[in-house]
Amino acid sequence: MTHLNSQQISEVLMGVREPAIARHTRECTQCAGEIERLEAPLAWFRSSVRNWSEQMDKQLDYEVGATRFETAPVLLLTPETLDQPWYRSILQAIRDAIHPPDQPPLEVTSKPVEVPSVWGFFGGHEKTAGMTSVMLHVAVIALILFLGSLKPVQKMIATVIPLAAPDLTPYKPEANKDGGGGGAKQPLDASKGKLPEIAKKQFTPPRVDTAQSKLPITPTIVSDVPIPNIDAANYGDTLSRLGVPSNGTGLGGGIGTGSGGGIGSGHGVGVGPGSDSGFGSGSYKIGGGVSQPLLISKVEPEYSEEARKAKWQGTVEMQIVVDEHGMPREMRVTRSLGLGLDQKALEAVAKWRFKPGMKDGKPVPVIATVQVNFRLL
Amino acid sequence: MERALSSEARPGTERINGGIADDFETLVGEHRPRIFRFLLASLRDKQSAENLTQECFVRAYQARAQFRGASSIGTWLMQIAANLARSHEGSGRLKFWRRALRSDVTLADAGDSIPDGQMSPEQMAAAKQQVEKIWKVAARLSMKQRTVFLLRFVEDMDLLEIAAVTGMKEGTVKTHLFRALQSVRAAIEDKK
Repeated sequence: MTHLNSQQISEVLMGVREPAIARHTRECTQCAGEIERLEAPLAWFRSSVRNWSEQMDKQLDYEVGATRFETAPVLLLTPETLDQPWYRSILQAIRDAIHPPDQPPLEVTSKPVEVPSVWGFFGGHEKTAGMTSVMLHVAVIALILFLGSLKPVQKMIATVIPLAAPDLTPYKPEANKDGGGGGAKQPLDASKGKLPEIAKKQFTPPRVDTAQSKLPITPTIVSDVPIPNIDAANYGDTLSRLGVPSNGTGLGGGIGTGSGGGIGSGHGVGVGPGSDSGFGSGSYKIGGGVSQPLLISKVEPEYSEEARKAKWQGTVEMQIVVDEHGMPREMRVTRSLGLGLDQKALEAVAKWRFKPGMKDGKPVPVIATVQVNFRLL
Repeated sequence: MERALSSEARPGTERINGGIADDFETLVGEHRPRIFRFLLASLRDKQSAENLTQECFVRAYQARAQFRGASSIGTWLMQIAANLARSHEGSGRLKFWRRALRSDVTLADAGDSIPDGQMSPEQMAAAKQQVEKIWKVAARLSMKQRTVFLLRFVEDMDLLEIAAVTGMKEGTVKTHLFRALQSVRAAIEDKK
């Protein structure tokens, strides 16, 4: 007799009743043992589920307490009136909208009762509350005023450290400072040449003969603006004539007739007839927002001996620059009279004082023409 | 065997038609533990099991007029419960919450619930291990297989009853049950 196969054992477990298999199970101890072995865990499983379920159910009873489950489903049922289909309720709503059902007249069964006002919460103390408020404000203001009047407090307030941005103007390059000049007290005028490089600060003034420079530093001039330059082998004055290399008749290093380390007739480290750094004459012409300088004090020129003897009369015309302090400088005779009168005129004008010309409310150097008359009475 | 003991778990089968409406409370009292047990085992979530048990009886009450007595009341109620469990499992919206709440029913809890009988501690431990294995396998089974498996081996129903409850043909029930049993057997025999 063959034993049961795996599928047949499963079928026994599943409860499929087949006489042949049932008989075999009864007779064959081996197959019965096999089934028993499989049934045992399933039986444990069953009883464990049942036990567990009962425990859970007891917990449930405990939690729910008095409201036992039996009546609950009945209570949960919806009344049948609420259970009408949706289309019926819509139809009912439309019908109500067209023919509103007659409502019985409204019967008012209550009457109004006076209740305390809900606005404000002073409870009849409005006056005292207002007075207290005013007095508190007065007291606080008085306290502040009193504190302000105290000497130590005032002293404390007086020592204020301003936190405003510091004034940087002394460190900024000054505007309107144009030009420069130099020279080496040489007998010849400055020769033509290129300008040195522009830098913020001058360490070495330019020289025509670089071999003689004491420091091997590239010569520079100081300027905020680019200066028109020429192409040349040597340094020199761009506006001068070609000739024998010379640093010019000026002094203080540099090239030209001026003073300082620059190039040109001015003084300073720039280029041109102006002063300090930069380029140009640095003087304005009258007009275009620049007012003319006004004469404040005047010195009459003296007659020269020769001119008096010769009974020489006429007018010396000169161009001067009235600087920002009202002083005449860079005086140049444009119409000469001769016989020493030009010299006398220059001496006199040098003592003149002006109110400087103004631009944008600031005094600026202005070029002006001055005529000095020589008349014999 | 334990199966003989469990026959009392199916009371009220002889009551057909008639008395269902007047005696609803006793009916609930009789069938509630089974329904709750089945739902608890199949969903493994106490909260859901409680809710669905309640829901099951509400539906039964509302549909009591439609009960023709074609099967026993127990089968009919179980049919409702199985449908509820299936639709509950199918509603993806609840899946997240169910997964979150499932933690309150652990496998260890279920394993603790083995009746001790006269088993030695070693046997006890082995039995516990096996029950846990079956639990794990049951949790992995498909909804249909699990339902069939639980109905057969926990509720002790025969194939015809299961077919009535699930609305499947007997052959289909057999197939599902066989596959479920194969999985469970594989788990049991795994370490023997």
